[in-house]
Amino acid sequence: MRIELDRPRCEGHGLCEEAAPKLMHLDDDGELVIDVPDVDGAELAAAKAAVRVCPVAALRLAAA
Amino acid sequence: MTMRRIVVVGNGIAGLTACDSLRSAGYDGELTVVGAERHHPYSRPALSKALLHSGDGNSDGDGNSNDGLRAHELPEPTHDATVLLGVSAAGLDIEARVVRLDGGGELPYDGLVIASGSRAKRLAPRQGAAGPRRDGSPRELTLRTIEDAIALRQRLADRPSVLVIGGGPLGMEVASGCLEVGCEVTLVSDVRPLSRQLGEHLSGIFTTAAVRHGLRVVGGGKARFIDSDAGGRVALADGTELEADLVVTAIGDEPNVEWLTGSNLLVDGQLRVDSRGRLRSDIVAAGDVAAFPTRRGVERIPLWTSAIDQAKVAAIGLLKGDAAPEFNFQPYFWTEGFGLSLKAVGNTAVVGAPDYCEPGNDPDSLLLCWGNQAGSGTAVAINYRIPIPKLRRLADAGPGALRPAAPLKL
Repeated sequence: MRIELDRPRCEGHGLCEEAAPKLMHLDDDGELVIDVPDVDGAELAAAKAAVRVCPVAALRLAAA
Repeated sequence: MTMRRIVVVGNGIAGLTACDSLRSAGYDGELTVVGAERHHPYSRPALSKALLHSGDGNSDGDGNSNDGLRAHELPEPTHDATVLLGVSAAGLDIEARVVRLDGGGELPYDGLVIASGSRAKRLAPRQGAAGPRRDGSPRELTLRTIEDAIALRQRLADRPSVLVIGGGPLGMEVASGCLEVGCEVTLVSDVRPLSRQLGEHLSGIFTTAAVRHGLRVVGGGKARFIDSDAGGRVALADGTELEADLVVTAIGDEPNVEWLTGSNLLVDGQLRVDSRGRLRSDIVAAGDVAAFPTRRGVERIPLWTSAIDQAKVAAIGLLKGDAAPEFNFQPYFWTEGFGLSLKAVGNTAVVGAPDYCEPGNDPDSLLLCWGNQAGSGTAVAINYRIPIPKLRRLADAGPGALRPAAPLKL
């Protein structure tokens, strides 16, 4: 699966980073960076948690 | 007992997260969700911001938008549950292990997740004796559901004068949105806006910005709704009467527990769960409906992140019992309005002035910290983009690790 970011929707809450710190982070300007866009196996659960916690649904999981 | 049939009552973010967590934990039995709303789960926090602010009413061109509203939409559920939309739970028999549905059906279960949420409190609980107005519009609007948001946005199209009742985060966000689209707005609050939630210091920052944006703030005690065919009229405890074209009430929420009357689960009208979300070994609860044990006692925490965290805990609590992790709430709160965007980690309301203050790049941009004798403190970012983990580290650092507050120039 691939993590997709809808950048205009992102409000920089950073709850996704908290759920999946190995997969994404907010940079010094508060912009979200997806470090590991393609995920499977153990990382998929963290990716799903990150997608779910975003209150503005700026993240989605799509078929790679 | 092995669970093969789990019923989740409630299809908001708590119900959705519970379903996802059950599946992630390996539960592969029958899963049925009972959702009173006719929609898949959406983000309530996004309603007040996005819906009011994008006030043009245009579709965004993809043809399937809700009157041009998008910010509240969440990704499609992937939990592979049977989802009953527009169906309410009407009763529960914990001995027979059956949920009774509005309209007659019954759902037997081995495990039950109660996530039936809460609803907006109203000044006039039943629309007033006169019912809706002749044109069908409600006399007193609230903002809790997507339908509320659409109705509110439609009413705002004529730029009515607006009376917002309630100085909490929702009332302030609604007031800000109404001002932004060009309405004249009066906010009724018997304490300084946001002071209960954020403390006097942050309340001061927000109230100053609100007044600068044209908000009129009125005290005067508890408000009472007066039926009127013209617009909306409200009487305050001190005798003040206020009138506007539109009244929006934002005085908090009350849990949806009526369907549990007679179930023996309610204590003083509350659904009090243990630290793993359990009411019994086969029933858990999470989200706005549930009262969880916290450091301040057993209380409901009707916030986005607590609904998610509680639902995760409750789902595992249902499957694994005492082996499940306990709920450990790490408060995260945000609000926007009047040109300010606030993100807070740690317990608010904070007392007194901040122990640390760092201005950001623009005049309204601030990073603030409060210490706490007990250890962890509170960190607040206003118009200051910062990753939440970093904000949490600041909150956890405690007062000793921080520089003294620099003199503030607001």
